[in-house]
Amino acid sequence: MLANPVVENLRRQISCFEERQRRFSRTIPVADAIDSWLPHGGVSAGCIHEVKGASLANAIAFSAVLSSRLGGDHGNILYIAPDRSLHPLGLLPFGVKLDRLLYVSARRHQDLAWAVMEALRCPQVSSVIALLGGLDLTESRRLQLAAESSGATGLLLGHAASAPIASPITRWKISSATGKAGQRFEHPLWALDLLYCRGGRPGKWILEWRDQKLQTISAQPMKQAAHEALAG
Amino acid sequence: MARCFLSLYCPEIAVDRLKRLVEWCDRYSPLVSQDGSDSIILDITGCAHLFGGEGSLLLDLQRRLHRMRIESQAAIADTWGAAWALARYGDRFIVHGEHTVSALDPLPVEALRLPHEIVLELRRLGLITIGAVRKISRDSLSVRFGSTLLWRLDRTLQKAEDPLTPWRPPAAYRASRILAEPISTVGSVEYVLHDLLQEICSRLEKNHLGSRHMDLACYRVDGTMDRCEVRTSKPNRAIPHLMRLFSSRLEKLWANFGFETFVLSVPDVEALPPAQLSFSSLATIGDEESFDLLIDRLGMRLGFQEVNRIRVRESYLPEHAVEFRSATASSFASADWPAYRVRPIRLIDPPMPIQVSILIPGGSPVQFFIGHQKHRVMRLEGPERLTAEWWREPNSRYGTRDYYRIENDKGFRFWIFCDRSERWFLHGHFA
Repeated sequence: MLANPVVENLRRQISCFEERQRRFSRTIPVADAIDSWLPHGGVSAGCIHEVKGASLANAIAFSAVLSSRLGGDHGNILYIAPDRSLHPLGLLPFGVKLDRLLYVSARRHQDLAWAVMEALRCPQVSSVIALLGGLDLTESRRLQLAAESSGATGLLLGHAASAPIASPITRWKISSATGKAGQRFEHPLWALDLLYCRGGRPGKWILEWRDQKLQTISAQPMKQAAHEALAG
Repeated sequence: MARCFLSLYCPEIAVDRLKRLVEWCDRYSPLVSQDGSDSIILDITGCAHLFGGEGSLLLDLQRRLHRMRIESQAAIADTWGAAWALARYGDRFIVHGEHTVSALDPLPVEALRLPHEIVLELRRLGLITIGAVRKISRDSLSVRFGSTLLWRLDRTLQKAEDPLTPWRPPAAYRASRILAEPISTVGSVEYVLHDLLQEICSRLEKNHLGSRHMDLACYRVDGTMDRCEVRTSKPNRAIPHLMRLFSSRLEKLWANFGFETFVLSVPDVEALPPAQLSFSSLATIGDEESFDLLIDRLGMRLGFQEVNRIRVRESYLPEHAVEFRSATASSFASADWPAYRVRPIRLIDPPMPIQVSILIPGGSPVQFFIGHQKHRVMRLEGPERLTAEWWREPNSRYGTRDYYRIENDKGFRFWIFCDRSERWFLHGHFA
């Protein structure tokens, strides 16, 4: 369902005038099939994204991929969580540089939210991965403004069953896909659901992590994804 | 320069109250120590003029102690021994130079702080006062009493040094403000603190130094005190940053009747060369440091043990392979982790016991239970045998472990192991 190229061109010109264009100009590439699907050609940096996981390990791994792509060798990554269950060695295959990682533990919810806010305000921070859920509209809006002002990207993790945060820019759900008999553990298969995307459409992909890249195994057509979303 | 000691004798004081009093005496001098079970010694060399002379210092101390309902006697002299003797047995309270001998002569021999048996012996011989002992020749004293008596006599009468070990190491830098009227609002405390920081930081800057640790002691009117400490991840002397770190602490201060004295001390300093200002972009200088400042803010609120960097260690055991190092710790070397050792992204600590079904003894698992939930094994990699290094405790809790990477029928991936005694544990989750 491609629109008329002339209309498409005009639309792009108009959005160039808009302030939001500047805001979403920096993006993180995910995979070719997904980047062309997303409205700005990738996951927007300097924004708040929610990453839900069927298991927390999936959500952490996907956030690690995004953070390492955004930060490169020198970007500071903050991991903020109530516990110390993350095993940093497990992040290495996803390209994270451990000497750029700062591990912050905060047990109480208020401390956790405060730490995320402070971290997002700092321009030297490339991305913040935080186990923080259940934010209301005001809280998530404040985080979004902090992220916009400094350019840091916030990736808020949660279980698939936990309460979603209000108004992120995108909301993803990662779950494991079952592999074939010969599939190796170094190359996990993920089912990636784009549940919500501001200015875009939801979608669904199956990807394999191999050689520092997410390779698309299959992409479900938009109609079917939308249909499933409606069906719940 | 002649030394000047103040001895404070509190006859009926409880031990814990004396300890608090030692800390409180910091307001007069940085060199304070507990002296026996009922007195305190202060080295006030060069401090007295800050209080308007030795007489006013002594008066001020006595007035405050009286208000705190502590019964006390104090004396100032050139030596520790003389001050101690005068505080307990003397009738003059400030004695210097050649007057020391004449002031001490009429005092009883107990004032020399001698062991009990020597005092008894002296009294038996009819030597009741220090003056009487001094008249006897040193040779015959040493023959009769050994070296102890002469040694004490010399220390008391200024012929030998008497070193004092303060209750805490003296601060490298220290500044204090004594206020005319007590203050109790946060705003006014901040004003005083800013003044103190300006003094300390300009001195630090002159010497190209910075500090990771600053300590503000606040003395209340009623003789109690409170401390605020700030610690930073890097040596620091930036006043706005330190003020911000202090401000969260100041809010928790309880003024009660108000604070009257503030002492800011810097226990240790480190080199901090001056930063080069750039012409083009003055604004970016703050940015360079902002990450360190973020670490400090996080550490001050959450505690620095909660803000960590990761250090990889060369160990096979997953729980030993990673060390959480506080972000304030100095830089460290991290080991390289070989990529072929696949590790889970979440670790369960301690490992969770699970039930596993296997088909043949010693074989690989077919299904397992976490609680009551059954998981069928669809894919499996392993075993990977891990054991503790030889320098570790050989009979650790699990002994040699055989690790399996397992995927269940829903696609969840687990890391489980079988220990020496055939018990199974879940140790982690893969992505």
